[in-house]
Amino acid sequence: MNFLSLFARNLKSGPQVEAFPFGPAFTPDRLRGRIVFNADHCEGCRICERVCPANAIRFAKTPDGMTFDCWHNTCVFCGNCEFYCPTDAIHQTNDWNLAHTQAEKFDMVEHGLIPNQKCVECGATALNTAPMVKNAKPPLSETEYAEVRARCPKCRAKYLKNRKVPS
Amino acid sequence: MSSNNVPETFSIPVGPLHVALEEPMYFKIDVQGETVTHVDINAGHVHRGIEYLTTKRTMYQNVVLTERICSLCSNSHPQTFAMAAEQIAGIEVPERGIYLRVVADELKRVASHLFNTALLVHLTGYETYFMHMMQVREICQDTIESIFGNRQDIGAMCIGGVRYDLDEKSIAYILSQLDRIEPEVHDIIKTYKSNGSILRRTKGVGVLTHADAIATGVVGPVARASGVDYDVRREAPYAAYDRLPLVVHGATDGDVWSRAMVRLQETLTSIDLLRVCLRDLPGGAVNINDRPDIPPGQAIARCEAPRGEVLYYLRTNDTPQPERVKWRVPTFMNWDAVCFMMQGAKVADIAIIVNSIDPCLSCTER
Repeated sequence: MNFLSLFARNLKSGPQVEAFPFGPAFTPDRLRGRIVFNADHCEGCRICERVCPANAIRFAKTPDGMTFDCWHNTCVFCGNCEFYCPTDAIHQTNDWNLAHTQAEKFDMVEHGLIPNQKCVECGATALNTAPMVKNAKPPLSETEYAEVRARCPKCRAKYLKNRKVPS
Repeated sequence: MSSNNVPETFSIPVGPLHVALEEPMYFKIDVQGETVTHVDINAGHVHRGIEYLTTKRTMYQNVVLTERICSLCSNSHPQTFAMAAEQIAGIEVPERGIYLRVVADELKRVASHLFNTALLVHLTGYETYFMHMMQVREICQDTIESIFGNRQDIGAMCIGGVRYDLDEKSIAYILSQLDRIEPEVHDIIKTYKSNGSILRRTKGVGVLTHADAIATGVVGPVARASGVDYDVRREAPYAAYDRLPLVVHGATDGDVWSRAMVRLQETLTSIDLLRVCLRDLPGGAVNINDRPDIPPGQAIARCEAPRGEVLYYLRTNDTPQPERVKWRVPTFMNWDAVCFMMQGAKVADIAIIVNSIDPCLSCTER
């Protein structure tokens, strides 16, 4: 394409730069941005903590349960946590707007809590994590899932073992 | 000029900043008048100790770390690392996974080659066309961002396959974007062949003869432009390259223009390969959906990065961390050839010659 026709085309199609911040910025759906954590789905396997190359994810045991923290300022947005998470408890949104003032820098954390609960069977205190029942056959019904979830790890194993499996 | 009309000899520093790319590389150049007589290369300004860092991280963390060695070959590094790990653990990547590896690889190659050839136009002083070429590259960058979620660190690779998948919609999107890029690349090639200011600055400049190319062991487009017909994708096919209609482009002149032309023609080949890949994409899983421990062992893997052959040596032991990771990147082989290319060159051509090897210092100095 010679220069003149290129010039005419550019004149017609307008500037190629985005109008941001006065207009929207190009943001694809699959953009790998800010991490969100859903404590309800978390199995507490802590695989995300192990595969995170930047050590941005930390779990800690507190009197209330297990806390999850992802430091956005340490996160490199690689998405390893989402990829290896067995229960889709971690998601990368396409929110890239992470600019903040210096005063807010310690608030740039995605926080989650997996609370403690009392096991309905033995009464022991245990984490209310999502049960690891992905491979259970046949799949658990909703009531069964809630019953498993209300138990401590030992009683969960017992429950699944004694579960009547129709042959 | 001295009194007897013999040009005086000077030693001039070029770099470390802004030689061609915004990466630090220092040349001590002896000149006689306007002509280069001797080149000394001084490297090491961006050493970050990444080889050491890899031994402090687990194999699965290292896939991300190796991706961040360099932005333009950010797919080749984790791919080669994963290939070495798969070799040790005996992992078979699913069929769909290896095709998707080629898709990621070739999209990055298109972006990288267009970037380098655009920079060459910038260095010849044709700024308007530089802007246009970068805009063409932007089509490719938008595609990469929309498919992988990031413009540079695309996060496509994992040990045992790839992390992303394509559906009908995204395949159609990539194909439509390729249809936009292809005619533009044809136009760019036409401009490269006919534009006076590009031809005058690049033809016959920075010649690397076939014999010198063999002696310095150059790789990638630099080697192919000097008549060394070598491409890892053909010589040691990995991923799905043994099933794809790969055309290896070459030239014999060995000058800056030939190297740029090889890159532009490879861009067209990459677009063809992408179309074939997306057409033949088999179904099934994209990765092994597992995170196996990598047993002790050692392996060498290599693949063709946009700049040439990248080679990984990986040794693992009983720990989750590798014992040693060593990589040899294309720029390490190519920059010695700069000394040969610069013999007798004019001072004004130094930046053009440096750019023509497509130097990637963050890879080389890691």
